[in-house]
Amino acid sequence: SSQQFSALTEVLFRFLMEPREVERFLTQLSDFATMNKISLGPLKNIVKSILLVPSGALKRNLSSEQVRADFIALGLSEEKASYFAEQWKVNSPTLTRLAVDQTLMINQLIDMEWKFGVTAGSSELEKVGSIFLQLKLVIKKGSQMENVYVELTLPQFYSFLHEMERVKTSLESFS
Amino acid sequence: ALSSLPFPQLVSALHNLTRHVVYRGLTRAEDILSLFPENFHQNLKNLLTKIILENISAWRNEAQASQISLPRLVDLDWRVDIKTSSDSISRMAVPTCLLQLKIQEDAALCGNSPVVSAVTVELSKETLDTMLEGLGRIRDQLSAVANK
Repeated sequence: SSQQFSALTEVLFRFLMEPREVERFLTQLSDFATMNKISLGPLKNIVKSILLVPSGALKRNLSSEQVRADFIALGLSEEKASYFAEQWKVNSPTLTRLAVDQTLMINQLIDMEWKFGVTAGSSELEKVGSIFLQLKLVIKKGSQMENVYVELTLPQFYSFLHEMERVKTSLESFS
Repeated sequence: ALSSLPFPQLVSALHNLTRHVVYRGLTRAEDILSLFPENFHQNLKNLLTKIILENISAWRNEAQASQISLPRLVDLDWRVDIKTSSDSISRMAVPTCLLQLKIQEDAALCGNSPVVSAVTVELSKETLDTMLEGLGRIRDQLSAVANK
């Protein structure tokens, strides 16, 4: 029935929006199966095929009409296909963003910590009074985190800040 | 006759003298002259003091440059790419930044052949914004310290 279909669709889209909530998704599926007196096995198979459509749609940048046509080709009724396509249209910005976020990033910068201070003296110079800036960059290399420590002089810091502002301008002009 | 001079001791004494001058940050001729013993050859004393005074800033700068530190930034390069496609989505236009830092290991540990390594990182626009926020705070804190 269409009510059951929209309930199932809701469960599916909730999972697509939060792909990490696997446990919750499986629980909701089995609740749905029990409530509607369907056996879980066949339901899971159907759900598997249905889920292929949105991810294929993302990969091929399909419009909602194309998604609807795909579902009709799969044997779904026009009404149900339109409903699903409508849900797809509403949710696709979020789904697209999730797919973009999954895109490969090389040596992603995860975090930056800093401290700065004054060098008071050294074994060579009794009184120094120079400012140093230390940065710790946390980088994701594959599945591991790596820390990179670097020290900057004051002029280098201002130059770094200036360059990063240039990068921001550049990134913004392309958004 | 020259070879009978105690060169090692001479060099060592000169080295100690110059190190002391640099360490204490002496800048006036009188301060340096007062380091010499009473009966030291007058002209030689003046000549040495003159030479030391000429070299002091260069020596201080070098001491500061070769001071122990964390690895130092020697160069910074960046590039902005536009990601157009990936395995999870076939069409997009997402700008991203690649930043390369050239870092030199502690000069004191490498002697005359410093090791320079390059680290390349990728930053999304969000990460860059967060980073700029952090750098801005550093700049504000630096101004506060400078104005004290």
